[in-house]
Amino acid sequence: MSAKPTFSHEISNLMYKSHGNPTKSCIQCGTCAGTCPVAEYMDQTPRRLIGMINANLKEEVLASNTYWFCASCYHCTVRCPSQIDIAGVMYAVKRYSIWNKSYSEDLVGPAFSEAFVKIIARSGRSYEPILAPTYMFSMEPKEFVQEAFNATKMMLKGRIPVLPTRIKHIKNFQEMIRRIIPIGGES
Amino acid sequence: MNEEKVGVYVCHCGTNIAKVVDVVDVATWAGEQPNVEVAREYKFMCSSLGQELIEQDIKEKGLTRVVVASCSPHMHEKTFRGACERAGLNPFLFEMANIREHDSWITDDKVAATQKAKSLTNAAIARVVHHQPLEPIPVEINPNTLIVGGGIAGITAALELADAGNHVYLVEREPSIGGHMAQLDKTFPTLDCSACILTPKMVDVGQHANITLLTWSEVEELDGYLGNFTATVRKKARYVNEEVCTGCGICIEKCPAKVLDEVFEVGMGTRKVIYRPFPQAVPKYPVIDKENCIYFLRGKCKACELFCPTEPNSIDFTQKDEILKLQVGNIILATGYDLFDVKRIPQYGYGRLKNVFTSLEFERMVNASGPTDGKIVLRDGKTPPASVAIVHCVGSRDENYHKYCSKICCMYSLKFAHLVHERIPDAEVYNCYIDMRTPGKGYEEFYHRLLEEGTNFIRGKVAEITDAPRIPAEEGKLVVQVEDTLIGRQRRVPVDMVILSPAMEAKPDSKEVSQLFKMGCDFDGFFTERHPKLDPVATMTEGIYIAGACQGPKDVPESVVQGAAAAARVAGLINRGTVMMEPVRANIDQDKCSGCRICNNMCPYNAIVFHEDRHVSEVITALCQGCGTCVAACPSGIITGAHFTNDQVFSEIEGILWDVRPEKVLA
Repeated sequence: MSAKPTFSHEISNLMYKSHGNPTKSCIQCGTCAGTCPVAEYMDQTPRRLIGMINANLKEEVLASNTYWFCASCYHCTVRCPSQIDIAGVMYAVKRYSIWNKSYSEDLVGPAFSEAFVKIIARSGRSYEPILAPTYMFSMEPKEFVQEAFNATKMMLKGRIPVLPTRIKHIKNFQEMIRRIIPIGGES
Repeated sequence: MNEEKVGVYVCHCGTNIAKVVDVVDVATWAGEQPNVEVAREYKFMCSSLGQELIEQDIKEKGLTRVVVASCSPHMHEKTFRGACERAGLNPFLFEMANIREHDSWITDDKVAATQKAKSLTNAAIARVVHHQPLEPIPVEINPNTLIVGGGIAGITAALELADAGNHVYLVEREPSIGGHMAQLDKTFPTLDCSACILTPKMVDVGQHANITLLTWSEVEELDGYLGNFTATVRKKARYVNEEVCTGCGICIEKCPAKVLDEVFEVGMGTRKVIYRPFPQAVPKYPVIDKENCIYFLRGKCKACELFCPTEPNSIDFTQKDEILKLQVGNIILATGYDLFDVKRIPQYGYGRLKNVFTSLEFERMVNASGPTDGKIVLRDGKTPPASVAIVHCVGSRDENYHKYCSKICCMYSLKFAHLVHERIPDAEVYNCYIDMRTPGKGYEEFYHRLLEEGTNFIRGKVAEITDAPRIPAEEGKLVVQVEDTLIGRQRRVPVDMVILSPAMEAKPDSKEVSQLFKMGCDFDGFFTERHPKLDPVATMTEGIYIAGACQGPKDVPESVVQGAAAAARVAGLINRGTVMMEPVRANIDQDKCSGCRICNNMCPYNAIVFHEDRHVSEVITALCQGCGTCVAACPSGIITGAHFTNDQVFSEIEGILWDVRPEKVLA
């Protein structure tokens, strides 16, 4: 083994907890990209992203918006004929890019994901009044007003909690997270 | 101490063994062991020079035992036994130590490998001094052959053997021979009419004096061994007397009951309850489908009997299943394949979306004698499709279903594309493939022909087929959603008809069949050949051969090749008339047998008889297969298995454990 792992090795290492096959077993059939409901918003299809990971095109992979647009529906993972956990690959690349601060600046995904994970890790439940501002300010004024209006209505109906809630035994939950999620970088 | 003189030969096998095992060390060490007269190492023991080395030593040094430490006995035991025999030594005074498959190929650890090579060699030395000279047992080969499965592979094998003057029993489960090939319209890449090339062969089988055709029959039991098998075949009741029936077909015409034909027409058409699967069926006699027959259900009707013109009447409602005992020397299995059940992939919508077809359904549709008279139409039976998508790799090359490539789907999918172009010239055809696999004579040329014909090829595995439109153009169509991987974009292709090309898979009962015939089948259910390259039609069981798609996905030419190859192997044995079998047999010491009869029922070959008068059991050598069950079962320990005596086995164990200290064993 070489001293410095290649980019595709690094991504494989990040996926060590998932049960799928390594990205190297991809046969480039395109089932993932054909299946993906958000493929048309991605600059690279999931299949191409895997090809680029295997070719160690680190800069191009990290500059892509593909993994930030993944909706985590896991359809690709279910259908992949090579049994690669493709949604897992997307998460691996997300973590990698956050730890290395190497995502493109114009995306809301990284800030949103980071805020979401932090809220969950702190309280065990999602709290929208904190989460929403991570992406709301990137919206057009009209959308922003609409979104604020919706949020108010939902709050009045009790669909969004006014105060943050917290699960019981939060210490145990945090201990679990520490064991499950591979922690890299500085976060 | 034993007085035997053992010669030990350690093989390098090029670098196969020598790369990991220190063969020089093993040979030197072996030379110091008791009884060893001479120990040598040599580059290739199996070469003529290597064999001459053994012969020379036997003659000059007076060796009485020989050990070769090299590869598996499967490879070269015969070779070295031959060398011993040529030098005048009984071939059974030889023993082989496997230091390749069991040692050098499984580790990179040189020290451990060399140590293990010593253990294995030592075990062989310890064993070989107890060997006794044995004489092979001659076995007569019954010249009759049983062929199971009447598809193109079985038909070819049957005709080859029968034409050479040997008698063949061809057993087929369905009412007619022909198999899947009879269902096809055209065969790739030459586009010959499938029936036109198959039916002459079927007729030959039906009329051949040397072939006993047993359709609507199944093998239920098999006893015996190479040269002397007894197969029990159930000939299911046809309710039609084959001796008088002329095959005129009036009964079929007059039968009032119609049912969906799930087998031959794969649910695309109907058949009468008394039926022949297809017009050119061989044999021509119809069969009554008892489950749907009005007479069998309600006790009334007998229209067929009423209209039958033969004298005496051919219809016989009292017919019973017949059990036949066939004496055969060899068996060829050509049981064929099934198509993957496409309903297992719900996103392709088969069964839910009505214009999604399977390949076999489409084959029947384009067949001139099929349910639509060769017209390509949607399920409504009249509208020709303006666009067709053909989906490759349905259940093949997919870890969720079958890992293997089914090999023939690319070619028949191309054939379908061509047939659509031919019958509906304006239709758009889309072939969605992962990789285009067209290895074979004239196959790649056929692909190019399709490229020229204007087929739209989309490189991508189809993700899903849906009838939910997103844009007006998709309204009322089937939408094939697929990534065109060559342009890197997801595409939604609206079409009228979708044809799925499912994987070829083993018959659902292939595991039971392999147990019945006492041979192996792999994880996917395909029968295992003796050697994947050099012995593709033999199995690990002597006298049992395989041909066609029961061994793995195959097209017609390859099935024909295998059918003929299996026939050649069988013909070779028939020609020899007698083969020599290993004299590894059990023997009961008649003076010491207490007559407890425990061994009698244990024997899987019914090879032990009990003499009531003398109150002792005896092994019939001709039937014994040397499995050793009785040897282990005998409470008095007076049954010996030749070549596996207690002395031989125990000294082999002691030999292999030479470096284990007693306290280690206890701990």
